[in-house]
Amino acid sequence: MDDDEAIARSLEGDLAAYEVLVARYSALAHRTAYLLGAGDEAEDVVQEAFVKAYRHLPGFRRQAPFRPWLLRIVANETHNLTRSRGRRSDLVLRLGTTADARVPDDPSDVAVAGDRRTRLLAAVRALPERERQAVVCRYFLQLTEAETAQVLDWPVGTVKSSTHRGLARLREEVGGELA
Amino acid sequence: MNSPEPFDDLEAELLALGDLLDLPAPPPATVAATVRTRLEHPTPDPDPTTPDPAGSDPAVPGSAPGRRDGGRRGPVRRGRRRRWAVVVAVIVAVVAVTAATPQGRAAVMAVLRFAGIELQMGRSTPPPVTATATLPGETPVSMAELPARAGFPVRTLAALDPPHRVTVSEGGRVVSMFWPDGLRFDQFDGAVEPYFFKQVGPPFPDFTRLNGREALWMSGEHPVGYIRREDGTRVPLRQAAPTLIWWQDDLNFRLEGARTMEEAVRVASSLQ
Repeated sequence: MDDDEAIARSLEGDLAAYEVLVARYSALAHRTAYLLGAGDEAEDVVQEAFVKAYRHLPGFRRQAPFRPWLLRIVANETHNLTRSRGRRSDLVLRLGTTADARVPDDPSDVAVAGDRRTRLLAAVRALPERERQAVVCRYFLQLTEAETAQVLDWPVGTVKSSTHRGLARLREEVGGELA
Repeated sequence: MNSPEPFDDLEAELLALGDLLDLPAPPPATVAATVRTRLEHPTPDPDPTTPDPAGSDPAVPGSAPGRRDGGRRGPVRRGRRRRWAVVVAVIVAVVAVTAATPQGRAAVMAVLRFAGIELQMGRSTPPPVTATATLPGETPVSMAELPARAGFPVRTLAALDPPHRVTVSEGGRVVSMFWPDGLRFDQFDGAVEPYFFKQVGPPFPDFTRLNGREALWMSGEHPVGYIRREDGTRVPLRQAAPTLIWWQDDLNFRLEGARTMEEAVRVASSLQ
């Protein structure tokens, strides 16, 4: 069942079809909420976003992509959360176990690569809010500029400029050269 | 900046880094079931959110000032206890991922509370419990004296013969019935806090329907224990066989030892 069919059936009240959509986008929605600052409340945010998305499904423009429409709601819920508590969660990022699973030829490369990743992560965390959001959407969530603009409700030009400034700052922090 | 630029090294590095990030998320099926439950059982909290007929802007409901405090925090947080008592049936509090520590996360990925039972869902199958303990104050009783000993009107399963053995535990809070072929049927009064806990790994529990309500089927063997009322201490009991759990009329039920979900649902449907 593709998105369009699942949406059509959800609109007819078929909750099983909506479950399919929820399950399909659950991981991405959690990732988005978490990375945009919901922290350990990401699950509440995502749950609420899916409930709202269902109620607003009649307003969804068919044939438009579902993904950025949904993520916009997730981003909005995250924004409401961080505003209501007056801060965003510290972006606690950990490298998964797979990060250490690659065995390079030279063991010293591990430390160097690991160190650079850690510094890069720290630099992303330290970016000013808008630049961080743009970088997170473009690279950690792998959204296009247009999708990022929709999700964050910014003009595309703002996405471009914020991303550009964020990248420039990251280059200053960690250097442009790969270790 | 005027046309799509090819990704440079830093951008490629960020993309790769994103792939390596370890972000906690509950099993998608659990999220889907939870969302469905919330849609099927809307909380009584006033929620002005209705499908927007114009519907052009999905962000509208969230962007109204104060919506979050008025709407969201209500049902999800404040209403938690009340819903357990009232709407209950179903999953109330889903899923507190223990993301605080890497160790905690590895051990328990999500916690699901359902029908008086706390399910601790982990990434891997928990080691089996070899010991067998009994519930506190568990004593055998006859069917004749059962009504006087149980703290609630005891239900029976019409699809089964009379139980081989019956026990009452915790001063009448829990009634357990046993059959020779390994079937076990527990009933305990509906309470705010979970009474049993179970540790499960993949495959995660399946939701099914039973008399028009949600029920949860755990297909594998799993450690089960109880949570002491007085101080919340978790006391391991034994390795449980596949189990169906459900909730009905202020009582929580668990049926253990049926071979398949269909068989468990069939027997459970005969509750009277």
